[in-house]
Amino acid sequence: MALKQISSNKCFGGLQKVFEHDSVELNCKMKFAIYLPPKAETGKCPALYWLSGLTCTEQNFISKSGYHQAASEHGLVVIAPDTSPRGCNIKGEDESWDFGTGAGFYVDATEHPWKTNYRMYSYVTEELPQLINANFPVDPQRMSIFGHSMGGHGALICALKNPGKYKSVSAFAPICNPVLCPWGKKAFNGYLGADQSKWKAYDATHLVKSFPGSQLDILIDQGKDDQFLSDGQLLPDNFIAACTEKKIPVVFRLQEGYDHSYYFIATFITDHIRHHAKYLNV
Amino acid sequence: EVIRAEMTSEPRGAARGMSQRDLEEEVDELVHLYGLEDDDELGDEFVNENMPRIEVSEYPAYMVAGREPAVEQRDWRLSGEAAEAEDLSFGGWGSESQCQDLREAYRYTHGRASEEYECYVIPEEEDEEEAPDVFCVTCKTPIRASEKVLDEHKEHEVTPLSKALESAKDEIHKNMYRLEKQIIEMENFASHLEEVFITVEENFGRQEQNFESHYNDILETLAQKYEEKIQALVEKKKEKLEALYGQLVSCGENLDTCKELMETVEEICHEEKVDFIKDAVAMADRLRKFLETKTDVEISAQPALEDQTLDFSDVEQLLGSINTIPAPSAPVINPQAPNSATGSSVRVCWSLYSDDTVESYQLSYRPVRDGSPGTDPAESTVTVKETYCSVANLVPNTQYEFRVTAQNRAGLSPASECAVYMTAPSPPVIKSKEVRSCEEAALVCWESGNLNPVDSYTVELIQAETPGASGVTESVVGIPTCESLVQLQPRQSYTIYVRALNVGGPSARSEPATVHTTGSYFRLNEQTCHPWLTISEDGLTAVRSERKTPTRAPPPSSTRFTRCVAVMGNLIPVRGRHYWEVEVDERSDYTVGVAFEDVPKQEDLGANCLSWCMRHTWASPRHKYEFLHNKMTPDIRITVSPKKIGILLDYENSKLSFFNVDISQHLYTFSCQLHQFVHPCFSLEKPGCLKIHNGISVPKHVTFY
Repeated sequence: MALKQISSNKCFGGLQKVFEHDSVELNCKMKFAIYLPPKAETGKCPALYWLSGLTCTEQNFISKSGYHQAASEHGLVVIAPDTSPRGCNIKGEDESWDFGTGAGFYVDATEHPWKTNYRMYSYVTEELPQLINANFPVDPQRMSIFGHSMGGHGALICALKNPGKYKSVSAFAPICNPVLCPWGKKAFNGYLGADQSKWKAYDATHLVKSFPGSQLDILIDQGKDDQFLSDGQLLPDNFIAACTEKKIPVVFRLQEGYDHSYYFIATFITDHIRHHAKYLNV
Repeated sequence: EVIRAEMTSEPRGAARGMSQRDLEEEVDELVHLYGLEDDDELGDEFVNENMPRIEVSEYPAYMVAGREPAVEQRDWRLSGEAAEAEDLSFGGWGSESQCQDLREAYRYTHGRASEEYECYVIPEEEDEEEAPDVFCVTCKTPIRASEKVLDEHKEHEVTPLSKALESAKDEIHKNMYRLEKQIIEMENFASHLEEVFITVEENFGRQEQNFESHYNDILETLAQKYEEKIQALVEKKKEKLEALYGQLVSCGENLDTCKELMETVEEICHEEKVDFIKDAVAMADRLRKFLETKTDVEISAQPALEDQTLDFSDVEQLLGSINTIPAPSAPVINPQAPNSATGSSVRVCWSLYSDDTVESYQLSYRPVRDGSPGTDPAESTVTVKETYCSVANLVPNTQYEFRVTAQNRAGLSPASECAVYMTAPSPPVIKSKEVRSCEEAALVCWESGNLNPVDSYTVELIQAETPGASGVTESVVGIPTCESLVQLQPRQSYTIYVRALNVGGPSARSEPATVHTTGSYFRLNEQTCHPWLTISEDGLTAVRSERKTPTRAPPPSSTRFTRCVAVMGNLIPVRGRHYWEVEVDERSDYTVGVAFEDVPKQEDLGANCLSWCMRHTWASPRHKYEFLHNKMTPDIRITVSPKKIGILLDYENSKLSFFNVDISQHLYTFSCQLHQFVHPCFSLEKPGCLKIHNGISVPKHVTFY
């Protein structure tokens, strides 16, 4: 698994790099961004995975969220993969912004023609961590995950489907209950087929119900003026209700006046980095 | 370096030579003194064998200074020759001419020095071959091992020379030590004798002076008495003689008159009858009259001296006083020495005039009472022989006035001036319920324990039970008030005592208070407590009972909460980080947070700019959490209801954070400008209970906020 460095920029004493590699899971070239804090020069650091939202590449998060300073101070390696396979020449992959390219939804597709390439779940939970552990100074025992919107959904399901694998999870405006929202229905229908019972395996609200009581502290920030919240794409209330019932610790902060953008993310990114640092740096 | 060593070796050598002579003399003296002269061998051995040892003790450099130069000379010559031959070397020494200078200087000094040491060096080299190597114990002489098998030492016991040398040196050294000790003792004794000598001289001199003045007094008195007596005798004589003379004169006059009468009578007898009769009648008449007058024939002045006793009583007294002493003069009472008093006693000191002889002192005292004349307290008196007295059974923190008189056979001295002494205060009483602490400090409060004011207080701290802690008492002194904020080390236990001080000294220690500097420790302040709340005995639990609460609200107050059913904790006023936990009832409505001391007590917590708090309201099945400041709260939902809330107050970062302790979950953080000190506050909007957990060190997870 050869890594090809695309870029490297010094940032808050560390290095923000982008690499390209041939993904086995996705059968295509994939880029990912990785931030190596100053502490990584002398020892292994915890790894924090960021999953971006619809239409994003690895670039959005690293150029807009302003997470570097906090990551540098807490000594966290932050990895931001792309949101889907690219250039797979699948018919219809570029037809809409909420399906196909840039909208992998962090599932392993079972339906033709997506099942060969669209295996983002396996990519972010298996292939990418192995690649990172093998090539960078990270401690495999200490990793956490967070994301935004579709990536927030991705982060929640990765954490809920793998108890103990991630030390902590957090999300900005996550799609909490995709089986009930238009985006989720479209994507799951396309990638997983019409059998809705299969969808639940990738639905955070449903996963909570079967989550074993392993300790997982979930932090969620949601802009109150987020149009997708009022459109019923995110459905955080369902997730909170499920967590309340299952006594899964969530702090859900409804932030007055904020929308769905990276401006909102940039405002609270430090809180989230600290949230993860608390569990990763114990 | 070589040059320097050489230069210094010379004076050292000289000093050594001198000391050697001194020592020999001294030893001779000692030998003589202790009757050892008949054992010359020992004396010699003493000097010779001990030389190095003594030198080592007095001049540690002797061995080095004595032997090195010879060795170094050889080294120098070697290197010097080598340098001359190869014409290099000295690279590090500077130019050749400099080296030449150095060498000359060296030779100059060394030449002198080496003369002195030659005698040490050369014999040593010669001796190398034939030096005795064992010691014959029987003959007490060193021999060569080869001799042992041969001649007279054949049957003798031998030991290695070095061993024999060591034991001989040890022996000698021990004796030396003993002698040294005796010298010191003798010196001490001599100086003591000298002192006694001087004292005797002084005492007798004084006695002589004393006697002389008495003797003069007596002579003077006797002379005066002689004068008086003589004068009295002369006067008496004159008086007597004058009286006798007067009597003699009048006696003569009388005689003349008698004779005249006789003649007249005879004449009459020769006269004619007629004339005779005439005259005789007249004459008879005259005679009768004359004879009727009494003739005084008593001697008016006796020739004998009246019995005159001489009064020598005053002289006798004077004579007596040569051997007695005058009554002492008034002693001088000292002012109170610092720290000489206890709560119930003072130590009073005074002094006398050196000429006085005193048999005892009488110390009188009574408490000073200002402001209430008339009720003069009773005076007590003690008699002591010393010039000090510890007077006990006094009242603490009280002034007493003392007077002292001295007494001997001759009488009582006048009283000294009055001196006021003060007893030390009673120990203060620590208000252990008000002691609060954090990791860096403790605030200790106490009651004076004295009715009258004291000068200051001292807080004593003893760090307890840590390995390495020596139990040293650290003191904070000069505290003017009844509380003190003392700086402490984190995560330790301390025992704290307080003492009160006045001019007399410190009081005894108060009862101890214990402080643990793990986390912060405070109690609920009952003075702020809403009447409907009950605070537990330990000051850590607030209960609002189920009973129907009275409808009438309490009157407004500036210290006591009157509207929201709240109470404040009295946190130590130290900026830094404070952490505490509150056990809450999930089904009750409670508010926990912090507020300034002057937060309006008629308002709800969080309803103003002076308080920050987390409020829980439960409307089954929903728990609502608000983080209130100035009536505003963020919209936050929490899925797991905390049973125990951790609160971190961080002055340094101006933050107040709340945590769900059981799952280490961060709930919310306020950024707050804490321009004054805040106190924890708690309220119960419904019946329920809040229990505070104190003395917890800040958990690791909390440090991220």
